[in-house]
Amino acid sequence: MTRDAKARLVLSVLLVALITAGFCQEAAAQSSPLAAMRQPAATGFVGWLLSKQALFYRELSGLIRAAKSDGTALWGLMGISFAYGIFHAAGPGHGKAVISSYLVANEETWRRGVILSFASALLQALTAVVLVAVAAILIGATAKAMGDTVRMIETVSYSLIVLVGARLLWVKGRAFLRTLHALKSEPAPAAEHAHDHHTPCTHHEHSHDHHVPHSHDDARAHRHGADHSHDHDDDESVLPWGHAHGPEPEELAGPGGWRRGLSAIVAVGLRPCSGAIIVLVFALAQGLFWAGVASTFVMGIGTAITVAAIASLAVGARAVAKRFAATRASYGTLMLRGVEVGAAVLVMLFGVLLLTGTIASERMGMF
Amino acid sequence: MFRRIVFLIAGLACLVASTPRAQAHPHVWVTMTSELLYAPDGSVTGVRHAWTFDDMFSAFATQGLEQKTKGQFAREELAPLAKVNVESLQEYAYFTYVKVNGKRQKDALSDPVDYYLEYDPKEAVLTLHFTLPFKTPLKAKALDVEVYDPDFFIDFAFAEKDQVRLINAPAQCSVSVAKPHDDFFSAAVRLDKSMAWEANAGMGANFANRVSVTCP
Repeated sequence: MTRDAKARLVLSVLLVALITAGFCQEAAAQSSPLAAMRQPAATGFVGWLLSKQALFYRELSGLIRAAKSDGTALWGLMGISFAYGIFHAAGPGHGKAVISSYLVANEETWRRGVILSFASALLQALTAVVLVAVAAILIGATAKAMGDTVRMIETVSYSLIVLVGARLLWVKGRAFLRTLHALKSEPAPAAEHAHDHHTPCTHHEHSHDHHVPHSHDDARAHRHGADHSHDHDDDESVLPWGHAHGPEPEELAGPGGWRRGLSAIVAVGLRPCSGAIIVLVFALAQGLFWAGVASTFVMGIGTAITVAAIASLAVGARAVAKRFAATRASYGTLMLRGVEVGAAVLVMLFGVLLLTGTIASERMGMF
Repeated sequence: MFRRIVFLIAGLACLVASTPRAQAHPHVWVTMTSELLYAPDGSVTGVRHAWTFDDMFSAFATQGLEQKTKGQFAREELAPLAKVNVESLQEYAYFTYVKVNGKRQKDALSDPVDYYLEYDPKEAVLTLHFTLPFKTPLKAKALDVEVYDPDFFIDFAFAEKDQVRLINAPAQCSVSVAKPHDDFFSAAVRLDKSMAWEANAGMGANFANRVSVTCP
């Protein structure tokens, strides 16, 4: 690792720590009055985000109204929409949490993380625009009908998150168990090791090893663990969710590359933001629907930037873990797989909690 | 390195832990006035609310409604919407919480009566009027009525003028209003007061608007 890369890693880890610390303090303040008392400024960060966001949101209506008579107000509208998008996503929310967890679990690259963030945020803007265009303009639907539609979309979206998480958990859970299994047998004599290759669990390693001319000799036995992570990556590449080894950016262009991320994009981006829908309907009522559309997409770009930044931190942290894993051979790999399983569980957990309404990301309808 | 990873995992866990309550932010703003109704015997019988929604939400809520005159909504035209409103509010206990002598009373209020929506064409805003009767009229030395959304999707604030009135209350009763909502930028400060309230009440509780009536 170069010094530059090291510095970047440290920086990203620090940033993750800083942000999670902010959220943690919030959590502490929420769960325990005592914790809040010990840290009087605990909720400052989130409180500040909320107040900013509320302020920007409130300015939108005035700017849309002003844009009717004064074209220059549009610039202000775009600026505020952008700021709202940035702050909107910076506050706690499920979208970036799901995306970050997904990226960590699926061993995605930084570039894919950024693309995933932008695609889901823009899809979210698009669904809001399409929903309002179809429901309000074409059909003349009421707010209640729109709210009901959003709730339906919401259920689909949250179910998809559960599915994405479940699928990840299945793939990563098996990888973890295989690593665990291999680890147990690693210190064993070579004879047993050879035997291992015939067990169903290590079957894939066996087939892979055939590509390497005769790595079965005794001297290599102890390197088995190090090779292991590589083996798994290969193994997963046969599954739609899995991952070929190594972060190759050019993979993005391939059809498989897009297909893999698509489910995550749709799961996160399907549900339109309530704020965007309200802004769009308001703009429509003012006879400036297109200004609402522009505002919604600019908001989406702002949101995407924040989500991408947080997702990048997650990917960076994952890279740190991977380097660590490389230095510790088999135990490191096991730990890496453990982190992936944990992240997969998180994705699923978010989906389940959102679906059951235990955590409410947005509320739509009359209230 | 190892420590960093542990820290990271702990951090991610915290991220999840903090999510349930903290993620809301208002999309609806309500400016309200409230009245406490008293019976001749001095017991409180109900809470009468008038909630004015912000212009964006008002535009959203009236979307697709039939109107005879453009830019105006008659009370009858808004009647179905008012019904939807109060029916959906039931799920949230009308965001109105009652404390009698410092103790929270669940189910103190019954479903709303005399509800209707009004449209102000000049400001283009909707006002929802409704009355929540007390199931059993009561006399209390200290009565607190709080209005807030625990999930903070709706930001409630008392109006500048005539925010709270006591109707036919005994002369010796006095009312005070705690209005945490003096300006937007103090949101962070208000959040810090969380320890003064029940921890489980949710973040919105820190934005509670509290009417306190004391009758000696």
